[in-house]
Amino acid sequence: MAAPEATTALAPTPRRRWVPRIALSQELVLFLAIVALFVVVGAINPRFVAERNLQSIFLGNAYIAVAAIGMSMVIISGNIDISVGSLIGVLATVSGTLAVAGVPIVLSWVIPVLLSIAFTTTMGAMVAYLRIPSIVVSLGFLSILKGGLIVVTGGAWINALPEGFHLAQMKPFGIPMPIYFMVILTIAAALWMRLSATGRSIYAVGGNAEAARLSGISRERTVVKVFAIHGFFVGIAALLYATQLAIIQSTVPPNLELTIITASVVGGVSILGGTGTVVGSTLAAVLLAAIGSSLIFINVSPYWLRAVQGVLILVTVLADMWRRMRQARGRGR
Amino acid sequence: MLRTMTLALLAGVFAVPAMAQDRWDGADSLDTNPLACDGSPGEMAMKEYDGGQPATMSDKMGQEITLIDVPKLVGIGYFAATTKGQAEAAAELGNVNVSTDGPTEANIDDQITFIDNYITQGVDGILFAANDPVAIAPVLKKALGEGIHVVGYDANSEPDAREWFVNQAEFNGIGKAMIDAMAEEIGADGSFAIVTSTFTTPNQARWIAEMQAYQAACHPNMTWLETVEAQEDNNLSFNQATTLINKHGDDLDGIFGMTSVATPASAEAVTQAGACGEIAVVGLATPNAMKPYVASDCVKSVVLWNPVDLGYAAVYVMRAVVDGKLKPGDKSVEAGKLGTLSVVNGSEILLGAPFIFTKDNINDFDF
Repeated sequence: MAAPEATTALAPTPRRRWVPRIALSQELVLFLAIVALFVVVGAINPRFVAERNLQSIFLGNAYIAVAAIGMSMVIISGNIDISVGSLIGVLATVSGTLAVAGVPIVLSWVIPVLLSIAFTTTMGAMVAYLRIPSIVVSLGFLSILKGGLIVVTGGAWINALPEGFHLAQMKPFGIPMPIYFMVILTIAAALWMRLSATGRSIYAVGGNAEAARLSGISRERTVVKVFAIHGFFVGIAALLYATQLAIIQSTVPPNLELTIITASVVGGVSILGGTGTVVGSTLAAVLLAAIGSSLIFINVSPYWLRAVQGVLILVTVLADMWRRMRQARGRGR
Repeated sequence: MLRTMTLALLAGVFAVPAMAQDRWDGADSLDTNPLACDGSPGEMAMKEYDGGQPATMSDKMGQEITLIDVPKLVGIGYFAATTKGQAEAAAELGNVNVSTDGPTEANIDDQITFIDNYITQGVDGILFAANDPVAIAPVLKKALGEGIHVVGYDANSEPDAREWFVNQAEFNGIGKAMIDAMAEEIGADGSFAIVTSTFTTPNQARWIAEMQAYQAACHPNMTWLETVEAQEDNNLSFNQATTLINKHGDDLDGIFGMTSVATPASAEAVTQAGACGEIAVVGLATPNAMKPYVASDCVKSVVLWNPVDLGYAAVYVMRAVVDGKLKPGDKSVEAGKLGTLSVVNGSEILLGAPFIFTKDNINDFDF
């Protein structure tokens, strides 16, 4: 489960047991990449590393990072959810509609999160008990949500949102709320996955379902739980998305699910399941935002963002394959 | 991965010198036709009339006529506004009955069915805003074949499927209105950036090209900084506009929004950056999305056309056609309070200069 990767590239030290090995792999590489980007682009244009641009970068993909926490858990468990972009679009619309209808603001925040958990739990149950591959289940949900949203709203935008609704615009101690959500939820989720039995069982189910079953872990229950927890993070992400701007565009954000999955995969979550961390996916989300911002600062067409994202995905997946091969060979010896 | 990153960055750095350009990013390479700085009508390349004609000429000259209006869809503010304009024109004229009926979704098949039913029922004229220029053509030609007059507005069909089309705005008109509005806010030597959908979106690319041509001719001391893409995505538009503000600092005086998504998102970015009054936002957008920013004085000019006037003009054009006052080859038509409208592109009536929504009038519109 927890990957011994990358340590192969480092000289073994006696302290290895106490240093979380995983922190030395993909997370470190991502962190260094972010720092390198700040140094290089900051040297070209110092305004890139000015406080307000740094804030914009961390703020820009905070909701992606939060959604990628749940997505990472789903992928680690050996599944995937491609309906997440549509779900965020629908939940944002629900939240805005409730707020405009005069529902207490706290409820207009909480109801979408509960609704999200209900949706993803249903998906999880279909995956676990009906044994339908998650990509098929979530493809179905994607179509239902996307089509339903257009039929119900007719594409009308929601404006005139009430005072106090804009959670994501609040700035306790001068730092935008979404950054708190991103940091706190990432740390909480990382600890939970490392320390709790359920957290460990996600890795077990995704790494080797048969071995997990033999050791008494119910694949079905774990998968349903993972999807339910994923729903919580999707709900929070939708909330941050909905409350960021004065207007809610009642459509599904284009390619959002791909951006979220990209953050997970580039963050080191193996698309084959079993390995990865949410710290990695959050760092990857920040890296993607930093790349997007840097392209404007160095006058490069944002089309490069797609290309760079693509390269990052391929490099990460190839590295994952390479590690697995080495691991397998190591075991054979 | 570090190496990949470095390579990507190097590629970016090397791309910069190659970008010194005579064409703004996001502009197309077609010929431009900038309007005169003072707005006087320029030389227009005359094009032969290319509309269609009804099989039989009606003899309803000066008599009461019944019109049906089939917009893309009903139940949205935009087409409610065109319907309102039609009713105003009909009331003024006194000899026109016009009613609106159409699909509740912008669906071309439903729209064709509606038009077909009204052909069967029998009307004197059909007004339409097409969901698809090609697919709608056969049913309109059928109407012409039955001696029914056909005039389009807002969204055209193939020219020979209708007699006239009321064109709400020409690309060079939008280009002039945008640049003039920006120049008024940021001054003759201000610097601005553009947020568009993608560099290759046809309408936006045409508008940007016309903006550049007009700016070069009429406001030569303004500076274009750059164009960024934001697709039609609210949050991406917001992030891109915010990054522009962060990057250019005090050098940025104004932002153009080229889509109904980019403009409110740019206004939001300026608002959240606390730069209202320092950075102007001018753009194409629908009034409802811009009301909060216009109310807070963060945005002063929203460029579009007035859909009430558009519906109004369509009815006047139809009346003129029935009365024989607008015939193929004519160069203008009288349209009540709108005055004389000119014929462009063979068989199109130009509504006039774009409409600027401001704090004084924006609350009169609901779309």
